[in-house]
Amino acid sequence: LKEQTAIYMEEEFGSLRWKEGLQQKASDAFLRQQQVAPNLRKLVYASVPESSSPEDENEELGGIFRVSYPQNIKKHQANTVDCSRFYANNSHDWNSEEMFNSIRDCFITGKWDATQDAA
Amino acid sequence: MTSHGLVYEGCNFFRQRLVLSTLSGKRVRIRGIRSSDDCPGLRDFEASFIRLLDKVTNGSKIEINQTGTVLFYQPGLLYGGSVEHDCNTQRSIGYYLEALLLLAPFMKSPLKATLRGVTNDPVDPTVDLLKSTSLPLMKRFGIEGEALVVKVVKRGMAPGGGGEVFFSCPACRSLKPVQLTDPGKIKRIRGVAYSVRVSPQMGNRIVESARSVLNQFLPDIYIHTDHMKGVNSGKSPGFGLTLVAETVNGFFLSAEMSSTPQGQGDSILPEDLGRNCAMLLLEEVYRGGCVDSSNQSLALLLMTLGQQDVSKVLLGPLSPYTIEFLRHIRDFFQIMFKIDVQKPLEDERKGGDKVLMTCVGVGYSNVNKTLK
Repeated sequence: LKEQTAIYMEEEFGSLRWKEGLQQKASDAFLRQQQVAPNLRKLVYASVPESSSPEDENEELGGIFRVSYPQNIKKHQANTVDCSRFYANNSHDWNSEEMFNSIRDCFITGKWDATQDAA
Repeated sequence: MTSHGLVYEGCNFFRQRLVLSTLSGKRVRIRGIRSSDDCPGLRDFEASFIRLLDKVTNGSKIEINQTGTVLFYQPGLLYGGSVEHDCNTQRSIGYYLEALLLLAPFMKSPLKATLRGVTNDPVDPTVDLLKSTSLPLMKRFGIEGEALVVKVVKRGMAPGGGGEVFFSCPACRSLKPVQLTDPGKIKRIRGVAYSVRVSPQMGNRIVESARSVLNQFLPDIYIHTDHMKGVNSGKSPGFGLTLVAETVNGFFLSAEMSSTPQGQGDSILPEDLGRNCAMLLLEEVYRGGCVDSSNQSLALLLMTLGQQDVSKVLLGPLSPYTIEFLRHIRDFFQIMFKIDVQKPLEDERKGGDKVLMTCVGVGYSNVNKTLK
């Protein structure tokens, strides 16, 4: 009976081995994801699907009537306000000490590299 | 289609398209301008912008259809000289000046422009901001001299306006390639707290609240109060703050905030405005880079039009406006930038990811410029 339980235990361990270090694996995977920087060049220059060319011709339906298709996102953006201002990220709470600490070294009062000198 | 040059849709990015068209000499056709809007076609401020563009160029051809939803623009030569323009008050002078800054170095004769209208509103970068950040950036590219000036002669807040700005810029033959990769640390913060047609005390209240936030980082903060009176104070009351952080390497990051125009929504207390503006500056510092978010497109354009040499500039995250500007640069000049993300080291406390932009200039030289 003892032997049987031992084997049973062993089997159970074997089958449950995948559960080991799950947290570690998850954090590794997360870090790997973070490492892969987004390919900005692709994002900026990727070909945006052009709106179907001369729509006036192919949308004609029996004389003066036209089918009105719902506006897609690109068209929606095409007629928004022309403004160069880059609005602040709302997720940053500048009342918190944590955010303050994230930029401390941008100022001369922050920590300097060993190679540089404050003077 | 080819006879019409490049074709775009919608009224957004209107200025970039016309400016790049003028610089590259390529014709442009914009259609579907607010075509499904209740009030279709070009707005008054866009018409005013076209008129300004017509004044600084020679031989431009502009055709607009009856409803104003289609615009065809064939650029002429950039002429420059003395120009006076009454800017439509729907947008502030910053809207017009931003475009003029892009064009001014490439004029035949040095531009001297007097612009009248709204100097400060909450929508566009204000004249004060452009003065303190765009001009030093242009100097980096070799556009300099005593003639490079932006001066607020009269201040006019939205919605009434009544302000006046003088802008002059020397014409320049070719631009220097730049390597702006190390922003350096911020050594001081300067600012202007302006107020017109309200109590002069407003300025001091703004300064105090802004300092209370920024003093946690730096002792060297000086915010100047600018209270204009009488004929120099425009037609509407208002106040606001412009903050500029200067780094040891001579780069400028800026943030600003203006009071809500009279009769448009809730008013804001000067204390709140000061504090919020200081936080906007911290956000800008977090974004970082050698060029702040409102000047990204100016830097990228001057890089594109530089000599045939490599230019590098470190920026913060790209704004949606800049991304569209990059696409337009590709359309008009066939230049694509190399874009690398730079992540901060783990033990560094220097804000978020930065973007390093690299390109080889097109070797643009200003053939219009008169030789002396």
